[in-house]
Amino acid sequence: MSEVISVNNVSKRFGRKTVLDKVCMNVPSGVVFALLGENGAGKSTLIRSMLGYIKLNSGSISVCGMDPLKQPLELRRRVGYVSDAPSLYEWMTVSQAGWYVSGFYPEGFLKSYGERIHEFQLPHDTKIRDLSKGMRAKVALSLAMSFDPELLILDEPTSGLDPLVRRSFLESMIDRAAAGQTVFLSSHQIHEVERVADWVAILHQGQLQIVAPLEDLKNSVTMLDLSLRDPLLALPNEMEQVQVLHQTQTGRTLHMMVRGFTPVIENALSNHSNLFEIKAIRPNLEELYIGFTQPFESDQASGSKGPSSKKPNQSEVA
Amino acid sequence: MQLSIEPNNGIPIYEQLVRQIKYAVAEGILVPGQVIPSVRDMAKQLTVNPNTVQRAYFQLQNEEVLQSLRGRGVAVCEGAKKQCVVDRQQLLAERLAAVLDEAIRGGLDEDRLRSMFEKGLKNAIQTGDKQS
Repeated sequence: MSEVISVNNVSKRFGRKTVLDKVCMNVPSGVVFALLGENGAGKSTLIRSMLGYIKLNSGSISVCGMDPLKQPLELRRRVGYVSDAPSLYEWMTVSQAGWYVSGFYPEGFLKSYGERIHEFQLPHDTKIRDLSKGMRAKVALSLAMSFDPELLILDEPTSGLDPLVRRSFLESMIDRAAAGQTVFLSSHQIHEVERVADWVAILHQGQLQIVAPLEDLKNSVTMLDLSLRDPLLALPNEMEQVQVLHQTQTGRTLHMMVRGFTPVIENALSNHSNLFEIKAIRPNLEELYIGFTQPFESDQASGSKGPSSKKPNQSEVA
Repeated sequence: MQLSIEPNNGIPIYEQLVRQIKYAVAEGILVPGQVIPSVRDMAKQLTVNPNTVQRAYFQLQNEEVLQSLRGRGVAVCEGAKKQCVVDRQQLLAERLAAVLDEAIRGGLDEDRLRSMFEKGLKNAIQTGDKQS
């Protein structure tokens, strides 16, 4: 599988604030790749630097084998982009907007645009300024898809849209993916991402916490509920083999998110005198997201090496 | 055929799809020879990733529940029903085992459990009779 987007050690600072901190990731071709992160995590900055809107402080980005800063025109011929607040000429009608943009792309754009407008049930001769937010978003998506881009980048495509528009956005993305094209989206609609994404990346305060195929991530991580007879006693030695990503404790129940938990360890734990109940389940994406972005709430975890344990004091800043 | 996917109930999405298609075949909602939606259409209908649907179809083809017909799409195999009925019983047995496990860990004794089961079974048969 070749890489469509490759981000190498990218850092970006705005004044004193580091927005992206040594971010590295590769997006394989033909997948739906979702970038998750809270508001202000650096998602939009990363996306904008993929399109050459932002000059980096260090590191490099390659999109479809091109440098976005050096080959901006060629990049725009091959990559469709919908920003979180699409800017369109207000005084144009829906058809005029398509006609205007078609000038930048090869033949066939207008026909394809017309089909999408029909599919989205948009009025041809209404001015952009008179459209609702959902309709504008549909126009922006139609413009971004009508030249059949090999990569479609969507910055929070469904935020603020009603369920019906949202659904048609998701359907369009699925259609792109089924045709073998790559879709890169940022979102915090975790339930949607869980349905449509092949790969996820979690960005937290400018640092990438994880990049992995969603299925692998879910399979490698286990949510554990351990009921302890005596919460002050140390955990069994077997627990040293697993990587603790997140843990909280309420009374005698220890709630942990761990990686590398095997049936062998579970067996060993079930014979331990201090534990009287062990529940191990596969996490859903929301739980994974929280685990990767929240700090440890219990001070028992000081010895473990989870990614979120690096900076336990800075987590309140969103 | 009405399928519904619940992404965060702990069962992988492709597995949910496999089970629901098997149930539909077992119940006769899908009949042998019937063509089901293509990967792309099914993905759009359920708004799930097409690779997930592909994976489910692939598994169902391996288990000889579905077969791909050249140029016509994917259809239910002849003789798939029998297998699906067996698989459904298997899944039910697993769920029942999980409930029993929970009950025993929760401290219910055998007699209590048996009387609960008998009562539940009686109720289920009565409601079943009323509906049919």
